[in-house]
Amino acid sequence: MSAVIDGGATPALVVPSVDVAPESQPVGWRHRHLLDVDGLTRADLELVMHTADAMREVLARPIAKVPALRGRNVTILFYEASTRTRVSFEVAAKNLSADVVNIAAASSSVTKGESLVDTVRTVEALGAQMLVMRHGVSGAPYLAAEVFGGAVLNGGDGWHAHPTQALLDLYTMRSRLGDGGSIGVEGRKVVILGDVLHSRVARSNIWSLTAAGADLWLCGPPTLLRGFDAWASRGAAAGRRFTVTSDVDAALRDAEVVMALRIQRERMASGLLPSLREYAARYGLTRERLGHARPDALVMHPGPMNEGVEIAPDVAIGAQSVITDQVTNGVAIRMALLYLLAGVHAAGSSDA
Amino acid sequence: MTDLEISRAWLVDPAVGREGPGEIVVRDGVLTAVTWLEGAEADGVDADGVVVAPGFIDLHTHLREPGNEDAETVASGLAAAAHGGFTTICAMANTTPALDEPGVLDRVRAAGFASGSPVELLAHGAVTTGRTGETLAALGELADAGVVGFSDDGSPVRSASILRNALAYAGALGLPIVDHPEDQTLTDGAEANEGFVATVLGLRGWPVAAEEAAIGRDLAILADVTRDVPGARLHLTHVSTMAGLDLVRRAKAAGLPVTCDVTPHHFALTEEWLAGARRFAWDAGGGDPWADDALVTGPYDASLRVNPPLRCPEDALACLAALADGTADAIATDHAPHTEVDKAVEFGLAATGISGIETALGLVLAAVDAGRLSLGRAMAALTTGPAAILGAHTRRGGTGVGLVEGAPADLVVFDRSASWTVSAETLRSKGKNSPLVGMSLPGLVLLTLARGRVAYEGPTGD
Repeated sequence: MSAVIDGGATPALVVPSVDVAPESQPVGWRHRHLLDVDGLTRADLELVMHTADAMREVLARPIAKVPALRGRNVTILFYEASTRTRVSFEVAAKNLSADVVNIAAASSSVTKGESLVDTVRTVEALGAQMLVMRHGVSGAPYLAAEVFGGAVLNGGDGWHAHPTQALLDLYTMRSRLGDGGSIGVEGRKVVILGDVLHSRVARSNIWSLTAAGADLWLCGPPTLLRGFDAWASRGAAAGRRFTVTSDVDAALRDAEVVMALRIQRERMASGLLPSLREYAARYGLTRERLGHARPDALVMHPGPMNEGVEIAPDVAIGAQSVITDQVTNGVAIRMALLYLLAGVHAAGSSDA
Repeated sequence: MTDLEISRAWLVDPAVGREGPGEIVVRDGVLTAVTWLEGAEADGVDADGVVVAPGFIDLHTHLREPGNEDAETVASGLAAAAHGGFTTICAMANTTPALDEPGVLDRVRAAGFASGSPVELLAHGAVTTGRTGETLAALGELADAGVVGFSDDGSPVRSASILRNALAYAGALGLPIVDHPEDQTLTDGAEANEGFVATVLGLRGWPVAAEEAAIGRDLAILADVTRDVPGARLHLTHVSTMAGLDLVRRAKAAGLPVTCDVTPHHFALTEEWLAGARRFAWDAGGGDPWADDALVTGPYDASLRVNPPLRCPEDALACLAALADGTADAIATDHAPHTEVDKAVEFGLAATGISGIETALGLVLAAVDAGRLSLGRAMAALTTGPAAILGAHTRRGGTGVGLVEGAPADLVVFDRSASWTVSAETLRSKGKNSPLVGMSLPGLVLLTLARGRVAYEGPTGD
């Protein structure tokens, strides 16, 4: 059984009934892999959000488990250390009754033995039907998708993309700002604050938030915004508007969502910043600085946090913080995406 | 030796600045007659069909022998050159070991001789021992052995002090320093031209300023050296940016002894290709392939990883403008063959370089077809332009590189009305690392004659 929701101007949305196998019902999801957010339309985003709603209902049950992916092998291949994202994918896959294989790979290169292509072929030969992958080199999941027979879910690649994070961020905003029908960020000022240059979270959020109609601002020191003016100027011509500034007060003024990004110590070694202390003083999300935003502005962070650097501890756990919601919603979003991709793969669609 | 008659073709002779309908006759490998057709005889012959031009000269070819024969051998590289219409090539010195002493040159030449190819094989020597940038290579001995210039290509001459000494020392030997202009302090870990596309794809930016700063440094040192050593010469290879070319243009106007080349991939392809677009620079418009719906294949194709990186459309068009106004003296291929193993990896881990000596003519003709370059200027940049830089070091220097009656035939015949599809099978190079694989290119080489012998003969040539 599927529920039909009238999405207004967009075509009617068919939300799957998540208790049964995905291939048994017609759902308007046409992407074979989830590699980036750039190809997702507004309708795709709505479908993911509504499917995640259904997953939230599953998570609220006494036994938070459905048999939808029973017998299916989900392999989680991480070339970079991660706890939060890897565990979130693992919990999501297990909630759908999939068989989960975890592989922590040493950072691969041609000089260190097995190539990525060989690894992916090996994993597939061992039974992987869906591949969740994290890799330190931008674009690596595209190479995996070229050789892997099933669906590839990008769990983060280099500086490039972190699609499930952007979708769980959007879902978290929608759950607080939306009215049930719309995503709820249209015209609202959303600020991404911090190390934008090295952030795959920021890049993926640019696509999803501009597609959803947010008034997006990127703010950080000029050394950590390099290249984004060039993107903003082309994006504006294409109807994907966002603002890039190093003026933190202007960025935060009347903001309705503020997302702080993790700052890493390596940035000092490479001469991009004088010190963490100076960063915290000028760009850290403090109670005082948050005062420029709307009183009810949401505070977000993709984690892991450096409390006292990019975000003050009292802000991180304050009343406006939805950071733990992000973690919970991450499971629902990843369940939704595993479910939707499993349906496409079983149905044999080829649109990537 | 070869006998050949071609009637009613379009002849291009950059040496005398002439092109038009004509006929040639080759007897026993010697170009015995070049006849320009006039009036009614010329009716119906135009530049859109069979073209005869002097054999092309490539100032910048990587052959990989010795050291990496899986990627290319001297023999396969010469075969690829002939397929591309080239009859003279200059091998780069970044082999393993580097070509930093005459023994390595002997090995390269022996391999060329053994291949039986009539293509003229010239070579650059390294500027520094082992190309490490620390001490001068055996410049004098290499000059005596016949190198045509000195280059640490693959890397710049990092030390300004070493470059200064090398320009002076090589200048006295009558040879140029061929520098790869890159300030590596700005390109550590860089993957793609810094700007819009690299930002979207999350690739580490390779700023235009890295080339501009290096060229600025090189020109300042050249100006200094020429005061003491008037024969000092600098050649800047694969200049890829508007800013860099502007510096060269101004230096030439000021009378500095500097020359430069641009590559076909830098004037025809752009950074957009990394995102999955496959349109030429002159068709790129605003250069936003996402908005233009121009993405026709997947992103991060490792065959596009090249040093310097593919730039934005404005830089590519600046390369074409530099060819048109003579700022760029030559088109060089920077043919850089690599194995599948070195390219079938993550974009940022892939070896840099494009296998390009066979596709150079196709990209040149695409630019000509698009009205961005005249046929005559294009042919000059492939023949007389590089010949002027080589001077007497090419065997063709004595008689000139034009269509010279009485000289050994050194020419290429191609059909502009025909096209061919680039594929692993059609490429003679062992390096199949071309982003053009699967694409159709204009201009089918029918025949390449080098020193009066057939170097390449196409399926339809006769």
